[in-house]
Amino acid sequence: MALRAPEPVADTAPPVRKGITRRQALAAAVATGVGVGAVRLLGGTIQNLSHSGAASGTDWVSPLGRESARVMQLLRRTSFGYNQAQLDAALSDGYGKTVDRLLETKPAEPPVLAAAVTPGGRFGVPELQQWWVGHMLTTPTPFAERMTLFWHGHFTSDYRKTANNTFMYWQNLTWRRMGMTNLRSMLMDVTTDPAMLRYLDLATSTGQSPNENYSRELMELFTMGAGNYTEEDVRSSAKALAGWQQPQPDSTATVVVDKAKMVTQKLPVYSAQRSGIFNPRRAYKGTVTYLGHTGPLDTQGVLDAILAQKATAPFIAAKVAQHFVTSSPSSAYVARLGETFRRSQYDMKTLMRAVFTSPEFTADASYRALLKSPIEFMVHGARALGATNLSKLVVAAGSGMGQSLFDPPDVNGWPNNAAWISSNTVVERVNFVTLALAQTKGSLPSATDAARTHLDGVVGPQTANLLNQAPDERTRWFVTLASPEFQLK
Amino acid sequence: MNKEIGINQLKRRDFLRAGLVFGAGAAGLAAGYAAVPDAFARGVFAAKQNGMANDNVLVMIQLAGGNDGLRTLVPLTDPTLHDLRPKLAGPMVSQALPLTKDFGLNHNLGGIKSLWDQGKVAMVQGVGYPNPTFSHFESIRIWETGDPTRRQVDGWLGRTLAKAYDSNGHPLTGCACGATDVPGALRDLQATMTVIQNQKTFGFTGGSEVEAAVGALYKGTPGIYGALFDTAIATANDTIATLRTSSASYQPMADYSDKVQLVYSSKNQLAAALQLAAELIVTGTGVKLLHVTLGGFDTHYTELNRHDDLMGYLDSAVSAFYKDLAAHGKADKVLIATWSEFGRRPKENASGGTDHGAAAPLLIIGDPVKGGLYGAEPSLTSLDSTGNLKFAVDFRSVYQEILGGHLGADSNQILGASFDRVPFLKAPVAAL
Repeated sequence: MALRAPEPVADTAPPVRKGITRRQALAAAVATGVGVGAVRLLGGTIQNLSHSGAASGTDWVSPLGRESARVMQLLRRTSFGYNQAQLDAALSDGYGKTVDRLLETKPAEPPVLAAAVTPGGRFGVPELQQWWVGHMLTTPTPFAERMTLFWHGHFTSDYRKTANNTFMYWQNLTWRRMGMTNLRSMLMDVTTDPAMLRYLDLATSTGQSPNENYSRELMELFTMGAGNYTEEDVRSSAKALAGWQQPQPDSTATVVVDKAKMVTQKLPVYSAQRSGIFNPRRAYKGTVTYLGHTGPLDTQGVLDAILAQKATAPFIAAKVAQHFVTSSPSSAYVARLGETFRRSQYDMKTLMRAVFTSPEFTADASYRALLKSPIEFMVHGARALGATNLSKLVVAAGSGMGQSLFDPPDVNGWPNNAAWISSNTVVERVNFVTLALAQTKGSLPSATDAARTHLDGVVGPQTANLLNQAPDERTRWFVTLASPEFQLK
Repeated sequence: MNKEIGINQLKRRDFLRAGLVFGAGAAGLAAGYAAVPDAFARGVFAAKQNGMANDNVLVMIQLAGGNDGLRTLVPLTDPTLHDLRPKLAGPMVSQALPLTKDFGLNHNLGGIKSLWDQGKVAMVQGVGYPNPTFSHFESIRIWETGDPTRRQVDGWLGRTLAKAYDSNGHPLTGCACGATDVPGALRDLQATMTVIQNQKTFGFTGGSEVEAAVGALYKGTPGIYGALFDTAIATANDTIATLRTSSASYQPMADYSDKVQLVYSSKNQLAAALQLAAELIVTGTGVKLLHVTLGGFDTHYTELNRHDDLMGYLDSAVSAFYKDLAAHGKADKVLIATWSEFGRRPKENASGGTDHGAAAPLLIIGDPVKGGLYGAEPSLTSLDSTGNLKFAVDFRSVYQEILGGHLGADSNQILGASFDRVPFLKAPVAAL
């Protein structure tokens, strides 16, 4: 097959800073015969190579000097990418106004999952997963979904242990509503969430014989991190938190689960979404010593004691930074964000605004420093293609990449960045692109524009070569979405 | 469990329908891909069995979540157990399969019991480390890195792969079966290893055209993730080629089944993962270190049935694996060992479960094993300040025996120190 003459698919590289000349920047590309200045030699300024032993020796040329590139990066990291209309709107608003809009727009509620509100209604996990992905693909407020996914990985629960899909559905609704509120109220929402009460066993803990599961993970994984509390603290808060039980249904509905054998089952019916119920008879009556204070202690007291700890604000700030800015944030950056968060009395909007407006967020060093999670990669890919009907494929394909919604690997949620790369997951990422294109009928958005709008016009020599050789739009889309560039954010 | 509907069942036909065509240039680029100057990518599966200094294989089974040692190897005659566990102790003692006067296996470990009767099972009791952490993730990291001081970042098996070569200079190879990510124990940037979740579906949808294009796309990738990406793709392409050969020449000689009764469904398909391990071993792919995981052991709640079911699952999968290896004449080469981040609290909680504990027994299984009980029986009356069992054997003693005695690797170099012996191997290959 004859190849087309190479055509430029990318913007020329912007002036390179930090003492690297444009000539150097182009050297790597030119050496391979490609006229795309999209990479530069790794200079001594990049100290924080997490894989320096295996680095290829070149780095991306950051385009973040341009506001349009900063806006695109913001949307990639906060909103599962964009379609053309969303990008145009954000580019016209500019960076600052886009940050305002992300933070100030009320989350759009997903459509009601009918089976969850119908007495006797039943639904499986794939249905629940597709319901959420469907909303990610179509919502006018994707930032709310990104935050809901962040909290789903942080305050995590899985459907296997929870064994109650209605509670998992409720948890998703709660995490979305609380996602940008205040850590103090959020921690109460989380502690009394019915799915969480089952997932980490608080629902079966009693003051007389406490179950430590929730008590430990509340401090280790949700708020403070290991090393900032003692085993005695774990035992004390296990006592102080005991007494919560899952909500009781208003009635039951008898449904036929097997018509042939006439097997029926009584299912709980809830007239509305509920949280856990506190039963004082199951609570601990005595005093405890917890995080340095001795006395009677209730659930709010435990949460307030945690919020009074120095470790809490930086712990949350570090996690946010790793998911939104860089895989290895500096301790000074984390301390600064943590201090802002603590002074705001744990206001999430204040924290996220501080993150998005920090110089670190748009620094050249942060360019392509994060890896899209499988869900981010797939949802961005589908939206770039204008394909909002791929929720079934997204749900099915996630497992091989290591991310099934409502089914995290363990109580620590999902890993991030480099941990997403293995010989299994890279193949599955490519396969998703193949199948997404196969399932997207009709005309596609312009693929030539895609290299500019979805890859910032910053592509490596191999990607440029393949884009130039691609004989048609579909193949060009394949190269764009399967490229290493598109996996990064 | 969400099935992987449609994924990879669409093959060439559907791929072509997607209208993807690559120019001849892509094939040209892909040809160049074979010359990736990347020692650890090229080395995957390059090591041939015949060239090995020894062709012994290790299979580590992670029991994730913290396996209850007292319900795995049950103390039969200690009355304290009934005081500590009024709900759980009765059935576990009365149903246990006696190994000695004082200890029995969980009643669902019948297959492993029959291997014990043939002298092929070592139980190392009281395994742990000083100042135990009760955090899953900290303790997992300690076991994975082999470093209780938490300074080491690479896995103990990863370091073994990176530092040990066979007599022909081929790097040793590792494989995580049934997983999507690299287990911490195998992690090391210089190590040669692959990850295969499901060998039946592993490969590029669209076949060789896609494989070639992607091989060309992921070459010299810039940035901090570049080499990781390139290595992962190169490894995947090598793995696809290997599986094509191995699956054609492998016939399982045992019944592997993941259709087991469990209180909560499992994320892991342990039997399928071990069947893949068997395929890679018996077809001589050169793989040396394999890792599989069974999760669900964090039994804070309703432990009785949950743990019994998990024991049954482990037993059926391991029994099938051993039978398959034996039928293929490979059982004498393969050592199977379990590990878990910690045991569980001797005293049960209100939920009919147990909280995070410390020391616990490990199972070591296979023809190379000198069967019996090792280590020291943990005391239920002399617990530590957190109410947990005190350890008697440092877990690195077990690693040392495996590394030096079974794999012929330099355990002192890999672990950074030497430890007390636990002589559970019949004929260690190197003097320890």
